[in-house]
Amino acid sequence: MIDRIMSKRDKQKAEELNEIRSYDGPPVRIMEVCGTHTHEIFKLGVRQILPPQVTLISGPGCPVCVTPVDYIDKAIYLALEKQVTICTFGDLVRVPGSQGSLANARAKGGKIQIVYSPLDAADYAVEHPEEEVVFLSVGFETTTPASCLAAKRAREAGISNFSLLVANKTMPSAYRALKDSVDVYLYPGHVNAIMGTDTCRELVQEGVSGVVAGFTAEDIIHAMATILKRYAQGEPFFENCYEQVVKPDGSPGARKLMERWMEACDTEWRGLGVIPGSGMRLKEEFRDMDAEIKFAVPKMQGSAPTACRCGEVLQGKCLPTECGLFGKACNPLHPVGACMVSGEGACSAYYNYGSR
Amino acid sequence: MCVGLPAKILTMKDGMAVVDAHGAKREISAELIEDLEPGDYVMVHAGIAIAKITEEEDD
Amino acid sequence: MDKTVTLAHGAGGKQTNELIDQVFKKHFSNPDLTSDDAAVLSLDTEKIAFTTDGFIVSPQEFPGGNIGKLSICGTVNDLACMGARPRYLSCAFVIEEGYSMEKLERIASAMEKTAAEAGVRIVAGDTKVAGKGQVDGVFITTTGIGTLQEGVRTSGFSARPGDAIIVSGDIGRHGLTILLAREDLGIDAEVTSDCAPLWECVESMLGVTQDIHVIRDATRGGVGTVLYEIAEQSGVGILLDRAKIPVQESVQGVCGMLGLEPLYLACEGRLVVFAPRQYAEKLVEVLHTLKPSAQAAIIGEVTEDQPGRVVVTTEIGAQTLLPPPGGELLPRIC
Repeated sequence: MIDRIMSKRDKQKAEELNEIRSYDGPPVRIMEVCGTHTHEIFKLGVRQILPPQVTLISGPGCPVCVTPVDYIDKAIYLALEKQVTICTFGDLVRVPGSQGSLANARAKGGKIQIVYSPLDAADYAVEHPEEEVVFLSVGFETTTPASCLAAKRAREAGISNFSLLVANKTMPSAYRALKDSVDVYLYPGHVNAIMGTDTCRELVQEGVSGVVAGFTAEDIIHAMATILKRYAQGEPFFENCYEQVVKPDGSPGARKLMERWMEACDTEWRGLGVIPGSGMRLKEEFRDMDAEIKFAVPKMQGSAPTACRCGEVLQGKCLPTECGLFGKACNPLHPVGACMVSGEGACSAYYNYGSR
Repeated sequence: MCVGLPAKILTMKDGMAVVDAHGAKREISAELIEDLEPGDYVMVHAGIAIAKITEEEDD
Repeated sequence: MDKTVTLAHGAGGKQTNELIDQVFKKHFSNPDLTSDDAAVLSLDTEKIAFTTDGFIVSPQEFPGGNIGKLSICGTVNDLACMGARPRYLSCAFVIEEGYSMEKLERIASAMEKTAAEAGVRIVAGDTKVAGKGQVDGVFITTTGIGTLQEGVRTSGFSARPGDAIIVSGDIGRHGLTILLAREDLGIDAEVTSDCAPLWECVESMLGVTQDIHVIRDATRGGVGTVLYEIAEQSGVGILLDRAKIPVQESVQGVCGMLGLEPLYLACEGRLVVFAPRQYAEKLVEVLHTLKPSAQAAIIGEVTEDQPGRVVVTTEIGAQTLLPPPGGELLPRIC
């Protein structure tokens, strides 16, 4: 089935590439919200085929990039001071905290276990009853259900050595917070796969346009062509260009699970500050699985490097190349800011793919 | 933010499914999506099926 | 014989001899391997190539090979890349106390078989036993001598604009095999290590032309790292065609799952070859007749512009930089 879709889309792709190249409508700023989009757009070289009046801005949708410094500090504290086993996605391992990264903590003897799925972390806890296991729960609506499932699995297994360090975030308030810097959003398809398209439709009423896009070359080209066609027509619009995955109602099962386990809270986004109601935390009844409470993690004074302009980059106010540290003090091997350390961060994409 | 991979369901048992993505096989949770069965394609993220992939309806 | 290696096996007495006789001599025996303090060898050429490499891999046994096979391949391939026929090897073992004798024997047996395949003799060896926890299982260091063919001069500094770039097979299998075996990622894929001795491949290419500019084996860091090294050393640009790079489907599948770039996965049986364009098809043709290089392909060319950079033509026809090598490979999920 997938192969058939591919070949049909191949022909479409060539036509849409031509439409993009020959766009002669008004100037437009498109923000790709999702880090995976940022990564794929750079990897494909999409910017090179865009006419000059089309600007792509890399938004705040990389969970690693918007996770504040003190979160890493807390994880390191748990690994080194409390000797817990940290289970984490590989993405977080090299992110610099105030003093070093989890990779540094591992070198100091901290036990850092890379997992593919939060469920693996729960399984690890079941298999290692003698260890305290903390899963670093970051991510947006796409990833949060997996964390909830892990908590549920641990609860069902009756274990008490598993907890979560929660920094999950939700997108809608970020869309609203950034809407003045943007003309059209390229919505993160996999967030919409969970949440559906209601928010996007509401935003059209507020004058904010957008399309939901998938992640293959065909998906991205199709979405870009659609954006340019609709933008030239002048009316605010929303279109779902990823219908094979994103249903208008998203995944009710996943949302129900999240509502069962987590609730909204205020949270800090690195670079954007505190956005009210944009974070997730475990509900009161599950607080025994909240690592911060369980291990009485003290408040950390996460200090981000001062010359770093990641915050402005995340808001599309500054290009990575305009930051004084870019490519000099800050590069993927020695990242200063989070946008450089994450493979999906804007700075790392600019550096790695040699944006000229 | 969300690396996803389309994969085909090979087997299902107790809300877990074994999926195949171009020869890479893994057990994932399929409990968040209703009515899945072997042969269906799903979008996999962080070890769970986040959506069923349906064929496009147009042309 | 004991079931595990003990510190006594490393103490130099009777048990050391037992270990040497029953494991190593049994598998490495040849006229040049004696009990004397050093091997006495004669070589029939003016120039030799000489190299050494240490091998640490966890787990020591993996689909497609083990650390023993790896330790022979690594060193003979380094010699082969210089256009040198591998002739003699030494090997030094550091074994962790408590290591399974049966596993050790399987490792020695793989070394015997691979050395025979590569046409090389093991002529000197050393065994040490380290206390529990001081090494991870077994570490092997091999040193090799090869004889250079007259007129052959390959070097990472010799790539020239206009050269075609050939890779001798599908990429990334060794690195992925180890990643899947080591990290508990729960992914099951039919991927085996590409680990293989490659002198035969080099020899057959030299039969086509001696005018080959660069041969490198893509080990740690994969093909991508090799390309960056050569672009830097030769002061040239490299242009790759993404669609031409051979990658096994299951490798692609796992890379998709984990957000990894196959060009940065280690290989242990893949050559990256830079040769004048006019020989490229013929070189690929002879490589296709040999098992380790049956999937050889021309993947790109050397350019004058953008020295030091590796550029990829993407599936939408744009050109982007291949992200430069970036240290430890970490799965990207969220």
